[in-house]
Amino acid sequence: MIYDLKCANPGVPVSVKLVAEVGVGTVAAGVAKGNADEVLISGHDGGTGASPLSSIKHAGVPWEIGLAETQQTLVRNGLRDRILVQADGQMKTGRDVVIAALLGAERFGFGTAALVSLGCLLMRKCHLGTCPVGIATQSPELRERFAGRAEYLVRYLTFVAEEMRRIMAPLGFRTVDEMVGRVDRLDCRTAIDHWKAKGLDFSAVLAPPQPLNGCALRCLRAQANAHADHRDGEILRRLGHSIETGERASIEIPIRNVHRAVGATLSNRVVSRHGPGGLPDGTLEITFTGSAGQSFGAFLAPGVTLRLVGDANDYLGKGLSGGRIVVVTPPAAPFDPKENVIIGNTVLYGATGGEVFVNGLAGERFAVRNSGATAVVEGVGDHGCEYMTGGVVVVLGRTGRNFAAGMSGGIAYVLDEHQLFDTLANLDTVDLEFLWHREDRDALHDLIARHERWTGSRQARRILDAWQEMAGKFVKVMPIDYRRALERLRDREDVGDEATPATEEVFRG
Amino acid sequence: MADPTGFVEFARVEVGHRPIQERVRDWKEIDRPLADGVLHEQAARCMDCGVPFCHGVGCPVVNRIPEFNDLVYQRRWREAAENLHSTNNFPEITGRVCPAPCEAACTLALNDDPVNIKHVEYQIAERAFAQRWVAPIRPARKTRKRVAVVGSGPAGLAAAQQLARAGHDVVVFEKDDRIGGLLRYGIPDFKLEKPIIDRRLEQMVAEGVTFEPGVNVGQDLSARYLQRTFDAILLAMGAGEPRPLDVPGADLGGVHFAMDFLTQQNRRVAGDSADEEDDEAIHARGKHVVVIGGGDTGSDCVGTSVRQGAASVTQLEILPRPPEGRNPRTPWPGWPLILRMSSSHEEGCRRRWSVLTKELTGSGAHVLELRGCEVEWNEGPQGWEMKKRPGSGFAIPADLVLLSMGFLHVVRRGLVDALGLELDVRGNVVVDRWMSSQPGIFAAGDTVRGASLVVHAINQGRLAAAAADRWLQAR
Repeated sequence: MIYDLKCANPGVPVSVKLVAEVGVGTVAAGVAKGNADEVLISGHDGGTGASPLSSIKHAGVPWEIGLAETQQTLVRNGLRDRILVQADGQMKTGRDVVIAALLGAERFGFGTAALVSLGCLLMRKCHLGTCPVGIATQSPELRERFAGRAEYLVRYLTFVAEEMRRIMAPLGFRTVDEMVGRVDRLDCRTAIDHWKAKGLDFSAVLAPPQPLNGCALRCLRAQANAHADHRDGEILRRLGHSIETGERASIEIPIRNVHRAVGATLSNRVVSRHGPGGLPDGTLEITFTGSAGQSFGAFLAPGVTLRLVGDANDYLGKGLSGGRIVVVTPPAAPFDPKENVIIGNTVLYGATGGEVFVNGLAGERFAVRNSGATAVVEGVGDHGCEYMTGGVVVVLGRTGRNFAAGMSGGIAYVLDEHQLFDTLANLDTVDLEFLWHREDRDALHDLIARHERWTGSRQARRILDAWQEMAGKFVKVMPIDYRRALERLRDREDVGDEATPATEEVFRG
Repeated sequence: MADPTGFVEFARVEVGHRPIQERVRDWKEIDRPLADGVLHEQAARCMDCGVPFCHGVGCPVVNRIPEFNDLVYQRRWREAAENLHSTNNFPEITGRVCPAPCEAACTLALNDDPVNIKHVEYQIAERAFAQRWVAPIRPARKTRKRVAVVGSGPAGLAAAQQLARAGHDVVVFEKDDRIGGLLRYGIPDFKLEKPIIDRRLEQMVAEGVTFEPGVNVGQDLSARYLQRTFDAILLAMGAGEPRPLDVPGADLGGVHFAMDFLTQQNRRVAGDSADEEDDEAIHARGKHVVVIGGGDTGSDCVGTSVRQGAASVTQLEILPRPPEGRNPRTPWPGWPLILRMSSSHEEGCRRRWSVLTKELTGSGAHVLELRGCEVEWNEGPQGWEMKKRPGSGFAIPADLVLLSMGFLHVVRRGLVDALGLELDVRGNVVVDRWMSSQPGIFAAGDTVRGASLVVHAINQGRLAAAAADRWLQAR
């Protein structure tokens, strides 16, 4: 993920937020090795007004404990000098900041207190868009009620800084940098002497770590640039001109599974040059041969088509944003495409638009959290279309169990030749229908025909050849809330109201 | 939550009053309850705040306001009534006479009009009585402990009810001839009709509370007798000592304390009292009435005088005219000091602020004229300082002067002196966890707090009862 994000936006620092809990230090060490620029240790006290009470009450431990563990692990393993550490979770005073710095943080997050200085009343309605003081809402009427001013926030933080200075002066620190990691200067005797704290042992939290090879106690250097050998470097060299001018171009290039997030940096270039609309469909076409690494075609922009002859690892089309990915089983392959997995798990995770055509089977969690992409695949593993909120998925073959779990939007068409699909689908939030609407059949036919055109799929050919018979074997998976939302939208269209995205309409209920 | 966007869709609707011409000719309550549909919308305005200031900051009895708003919105009235009664013994009374600090603390009051919480409360309570949901709650077992409650105002009644429900034998002593204290004889009928109290007393009698009206403890019964006979005593006799007017002529005829005036009228409405021609009678008919004191009691005097047929009513207040609308000196969610127009003021009254009474003059023994001057208030190093404004003297006709300048503290003469209770600098009874300086003698309400709201009295009555219960159970 860190790598994907760095590819998607080269040069931008990546921060990873971790909940303070036992073992967080190990995770933070992994984050540092994974090349993140910052790790954020978040305490149990925080949580937005949208978070459920169960999370607010029962998730995590105090940031003090998580931060101490993180700092100790990073210092002992010689990783601390190349990653920034931030702490947050109900920080309110200069005293909080000084303690966080002494425990090893150099950055500090303020959420609640800062918002309260701007008028937040802790309504816990951030997820409803009905904030009565106009903070967590997009409603113009409610935003009118916002009474905060930037000066209030400035004043609050000035007081925090002032209090920090008052504590730092007797400690003999002139800058925050000097303070970071100086856990030896923390005095906690009076706190421990309190009768409630009797029997508590803080020595592990307050233990100064032994640095490995004289590792510094704070971040002193940047992470290494791990993207020098990224596959997109060559693509950009060869397509640089087309990206600038928008001329059509197509290239062929081999690929190996060490090449991760291919297409992400290319998409970044396309979008920064032409805006989020990208290029016209079919402008850039790149054909890869081989076995693609993780996150193939991540965040792919409109106008880019990636053809892959071979197979791909997990996270294909992660966050797909309008581009097209075509995966074709090599013609010489000795196996039947509709019986063999050629792309990994968690395909189209969080995709918002674009198309994927896969001439073969996909792994588990296909199209999880998809909110707008269209996909045709010849079979999927367990948990297909999990938490999907939009888009269209066509499965031309078998599915695993728990299909459509938590699916609240979008549509899936599944070829159910053996009439077992209703035993595999999770019917908590969806209904199964036959294709008895003309538009449904036409739309499906169109998608399968395009699948056949892009991939030359024999399975697609077989279905299209016997369309009258095969169309009756498809099942349409329709989320119940989504259908209601579409009906409401149609009713509203009749009276000429403005358009609302269906995903939003589901949310409104 | 009732309705996520209710507060945007619906505006606050105030509870209407009967027309002035109609209401000043009788003593019936003046409110016109909202219709069911309107009330439903008003309940829908509640936002079910993550931090409900109405509940935590506003309401002294910590009513679970967002919850009952939601129940009313869902028309689950019976649960709403149970919810409301779980924190408040007498919602039918606070629903009428409470100044509603909850509404001042309502999050919507910050930049909009607050939810009509008080009226929702009123409607829940009235429905509970109409549907006979207000049934006696009898204790599972009796403790055989005897508790005397002295005073039958809101504090005493709340304490008595809570103690009876805890299984104690409770006797409430009241010096007046009827139970209710200031609810009965302080608040005029047009704000609180007295049958409202009687139906609640029925419930309390059924719960086992014994009422002994017409017994002035300290005079008719000795403090020692009380201590011998009862396991615990709970004092809730209010703060009956009125602040006197210390000017020449204050002893003239026609100068009365507000409470004497209001009590007489309530007796008259109840059919208990001699007619207005009696020598002892204080009546405003045809008189120029001057009410000194600008608080709630003063406004009750205004409404009562208007109904009695006063020739004119003038209300004087020594403090300056408060600002209109919220002001930064008393910010949300606290109680705002703002200009308030009570229903009695609407009925015809001249109000003057920053006015000091200097002298009352009369012919013979009866007052005829009030002389005063205007004052200026300036903030000095020791707080606000008052200065007379030169040349601002005036005189107004005054046949009846009613003194409603607040109350000082509990009446010491009698019981408090006999028990030898420790008092604080203001003259209120000192309590520690609701127990006075004498073991087994508890105190609550205005006796402890000084004159205050009905809802504070109910709250203190409940808390003191809980403390007394713990103390009794531990013995």
